[in-house]
Amino acid sequence: MSHGGSDKCEPNFTPLLDLVLQLVMFFMLCANFVMDQTNVEIKLPSAIAAKALESTVDYAIYLNVNEQGKVILTASDQFTDTEGKVTDTLDNAEQVRIFLVRRAKEDLAAAGPAGKDKPPRSVIVLRVHKECSFEKTYAIMKACRQAGYLKVQLRAIRHSGAE
Amino acid sequence: MHTRKRQGTDFVEPDLPITPMLDMSFQLLAFFIITFRPAPTEGQIALALPKDERPGAVTPRFPMDVPPAQLTVRVTAAANGTIERVTISEPGSAVFAKDLGAKVEAVRDELATVAAGLSRENRPARLTLELDEKLIQEYVVQLMDTGVRAGFADLSPVPIDPNRR
Repeated sequence: MSHGGSDKCEPNFTPLLDLVLQLVMFFMLCANFVMDQTNVEIKLPSAIAAKALESTVDYAIYLNVNEQGKVILTASDQFTDTEGKVTDTLDNAEQVRIFLVRRAKEDLAAAGPAGKDKPPRSVIVLRVHKECSFEKTYAIMKACRQAGYLKVQLRAIRHSGAE
Repeated sequence: MHTRKRQGTDFVEPDLPITPMLDMSFQLLAFFIITFRPAPTEGQIALALPKDERPGAVTPRFPMDVPPAQLTVRVTAAANGTIERVTISEPGSAVFAKDLGAKVEAVRDELATVAAGLSRENRPARLTLELDEKLIQEYVVQLMDTGVRAGFADLSPVPIDPNRR
């Protein structure tokens, strides 16, 4: 009597493959994609009281300020100075003011006559490098105010404080 | 009656080679696990902007029933941008500026005490941070964080008036 000595015994890989592919998909989706509005070179300070941006304010202007106090524009933004030179950084507060005034005009034009097509951005989120001096930060804050923006928030890494 | 005759009696089971696919999946998985770095959660601290000092600029005023208590925290910085000295004062009060040294913990305790007192009086408070221009952003945010945690919602960071140094 044969006890199946010739039968081939194979492990079932299909559920294992399903699981692995699901894990691969998870890591692919959670991969640290560089967000358009943020700059990875900016090292933010940390704060316990920092709150997440309100869901109603999903349309804000992000200004990435580096260690030297220069605003680094995102890939989709460019600035043309008074001499017609195109740059991807804003080197002083006056350039920040001009840039924001232009942005406000663009937003108002995009909003349409009733202002309902695309609401203009009213909040500025400042992502300032933690080594940047207050002198530079304050100059940018003043430029925001002069451009007509009243809501400015400083961005920080949220931490629990349990250290 | 017409009968169909089955042709090809040998049934061949389709064999899908899963092993190479699994190998590749494990390699992909290993790559993503090694390169995975979760992004830190970012948040915001709201602040009051400085006044527009240009001629003709209008600063909006909001009516308030009770005038807010004004509290000023003045911070001087060392040459490397760290906190050198912190003083706290209430403009108009008879109490002189209180020296809190260079520790943020002392500022937090003092602000919490003041905020608790104002809360009992049901009086709104405005905290002005007079900051040295050399102070780096890390300490600016740390001081603002301290103010918010102490209970101050209206925070305004401004540079120290050079005439009042």
